[in-house]
Amino acid sequence: MSIIEVSHLTKFYGKSRGIVDVSFNVEEGEIFGFIGPNGAGKSTTIRLLLSLIHPTSGMGKVFGLDVTKHGPEIRRSIGYLPSEVFYYEGMKVIDLLKYSASFYEGNFTERIKYLSELMELEMNRRISDLSYGNKKKVGIVQGLLHSPKLLFLDEPTSGLDPLMQRKFFDLIREENKRGVTVFFSSHILGEVQRLCNRVGIIREGSMVEISDIRSLQQNNYKKISVTANGLTPEFFDTPGVTNVQTENGSVNFFFKGDINAMVQKVSNLKLEDVNIEEPTLEEIFMHYYE
Amino acid sequence: MNIFLRELKANLKSLLIWSFIIVLLILIAVSKFSAFAGDPEMLKILDSMPPAVMDAMNMNAFNLTTLTGFYGIMFLYFGLMGAFAAAMWGSDIISKEERDKTVEFSLVLPVSRSRVVTAKALAALVNCVVFVLITWGFSVVAVQSYNPDQAFYDFLALEMQAMFMMELIFLAIGLMLGCALKKYKSSGSTATGIILATYFMSVIAGMNDKYEFLKHFTPFYYYDAGEIFRSGQLNTTYLAISFAIVVVALITAYTVYNKRDLYI
Amino acid sequence: MNKMIFQHEFLIRIKSVITWSLSVSALLFVFFSFFSVFAVQAEMMQQMLEKFPKELLIAFGMNEMNYDTVLGYISFYFLFIQLLLAIQAGNYGFGLVSIEETEMTADFLLTRPVSRAKILTSKLMAALASMLLTDVVMWISMFTAISIFSEGKEYDLSTLLLLLFSVILFQLFFFSVGLMVSLLVKRVRSVTPYSLGLAFGAYVLSAFSGVFGDVKLEYITPFKHFEPTYIVNNGALNTPLVLINVAITVIALVAGYWLYLHRDIHAVS
Repeated sequence: MSIIEVSHLTKFYGKSRGIVDVSFNVEEGEIFGFIGPNGAGKSTTIRLLLSLIHPTSGMGKVFGLDVTKHGPEIRRSIGYLPSEVFYYEGMKVIDLLKYSASFYEGNFTERIKYLSELMELEMNRRISDLSYGNKKKVGIVQGLLHSPKLLFLDEPTSGLDPLMQRKFFDLIREENKRGVTVFFSSHILGEVQRLCNRVGIIREGSMVEISDIRSLQQNNYKKISVTANGLTPEFFDTPGVTNVQTENGSVNFFFKGDINAMVQKVSNLKLEDVNIEEPTLEEIFMHYYE
Repeated sequence: MNIFLRELKANLKSLLIWSFIIVLLILIAVSKFSAFAGDPEMLKILDSMPPAVMDAMNMNAFNLTTLTGFYGIMFLYFGLMGAFAAAMWGSDIISKEERDKTVEFSLVLPVSRSRVVTAKALAALVNCVVFVLITWGFSVVAVQSYNPDQAFYDFLALEMQAMFMMELIFLAIGLMLGCALKKYKSSGSTATGIILATYFMSVIAGMNDKYEFLKHFTPFYYYDAGEIFRSGQLNTTYLAISFAIVVVALITAYTVYNKRDLYI
Repeated sequence: MNKMIFQHEFLIRIKSVITWSLSVSALLFVFFSFFSVFAVQAEMMQQMLEKFPKELLIAFGMNEMNYDTVLGYISFYFLFIQLLLAIQAGNYGFGLVSIEETEMTADFLLTRPVSRAKILTSKLMAALASMLLTDVVMWISMFTAISIFSEGKEYDLSTLLLLLFSVILFQLFFFSVGLMVSLLVKRVRSVTPYSLGLAFGAYVLSAFSGVFGDVKLEYITPFKHFEPTYIVNNGALNTPLVLINVAITVIALVAGYWLYLHRDIHAVS
């Protein structure tokens, strides 16, 4: 049983499209990245799975249960970190955490203490007095305190300083080692690349790619940079080569094809330097937008 | 003055709704008047009612059977509606920046806070003026079938000026509350509370001599329709007090808004 | 019902409840303190009115004025109490769920493992408890005021109780209609204009009722359903009107539930 099962999920807001015929699965123990440009439908998908909005058609299942029918039951084991965090202004941090904890079964005092200390959260301040980043920290603790089995992270690190970001990711990795599944949506592709096993790319309401990161990188192209005396871009005018650029005496380009042929070709030169790299997720991602 | 124009547009819907309501009110009231019009029996009954009751219902000064008299009683509703509308416009137009979180846009423009307040206040003022004009105009139209005389038109004119003064006072108070209160949520309800309190004060002041001193504190008494009818003009002392209230409220509004932290 | 949500909701309204309770009580006391003045004048008026043909008096609704009795006097000013209670109920109704969306805390509350039905029920119960608290304070004030100001005059207890308990249903109407309307509108940015509009609108409808002849607008306004003069003069509630009132309240509540359960909660950003 997949932890998340999305099948032909569609949402229209009146006439405007939210998402159309989206399908994907997330397996237990995975860290699944969910990326796409603004307005692609990331929030819509997450909100559908959390039962905040209702699908026009299609089906979403979490823990094998239909999200439209078993919302409350599903949410017992879900932690949600929204991108924009808003809480009851009049409350103190500790009050809000206790209020949130009261919805789940069990005693979470120790866990709250552990997490708040880790994230350096001041318990007795009023929510209204907190900066954006500190409110995010409250969001993190609130989302994790009941040890959920599935985490929805939506732009979780925006607003956090670099040290906190690192602590946060360590926390997530630790949870994942214990078997927690993570659904991670972010614009910071470096983070997604570092953390996730598989990635789903959504664009204009439809899924354009679902695969694991390694395959994505391998099936894409290589970034090659060759530095040699008297080298001209025309030398690389062969099939499979794109995006040729000259920079400080080196010729850089993307290559997709039989790597042997390219290595042969390059070895014919008197090289000063050569670099063959895999593209970053960012470059792959941008590539989808050309 | 683009702020002014933008606010005019943004508040148009509210103006239309309030105008619609008052037009409806006038229609219903004038239809009801037909039951009273010129009926001598009715007159006798009214004469025999206890003065205290009449005061509470604000009917003491008026001959309900004449158009002028009827409109005198209607003034209470006009005044109340004008007060609520003006107070809501005044307080809302300021506090909505914090409520809708647009502070970081609107108050970071290369305009001083005072300019912003002025532009908004003027837009709200335009709403108040238009509201009075609509009330006035529609009243004239609605009563045509009763052949009103010049005395009625004069009285109506006075009433409308009084309504405008009421609006002015509560507009200023609304603006002040919106500017001064840190908790933007409270300005609307505080304004409502003040209006209700001053209204009940006027009722009580009229009912019982013991509480007559209260009348000095409530605008509903400054512009009591009965007094206006009797004297044929607006009381200059009360006009002065009204302007004083408006000035004080506005000064407070500007001063506090310029100094205080804006809630994000 | 979820106890935590109930507690949370109730505590948020405590300050409001105290303010309303005090205001209503203060108003009640002040009005009642004029009883003696009215009583004297009322006797004079009664004598005058007796000289008029009954039909004429009924036409103008003036056949039932007896301000020298305790209940008669209460029926005269009870309208103002009802007005305040209507505004309070409207505030709670319009704001019940709309506030979560305006303050953007809906994302937090609705992603807890609680069903929307339970959330709504808990909020509802808390609001009802708040209104009931104000009503109880009002009742106590009423009896206190009577003991101080009524000059020992007799009155029918059961009728008074009927009048006092009627405010519960009265408030429920404004509360549930407010709730339903707030769910029909896309966004309720400020509760005050809505609840004032509803309360005053209902009042105007009753004050000017009977104008359009057969179109009995008065059937839909609680100020007519629970008109104090009627209750006092008949010693009973106006059953058909009360049934209409309850029907509207129930329909509005059911609609409210349905609307809330099916509502899309949109992203903040």
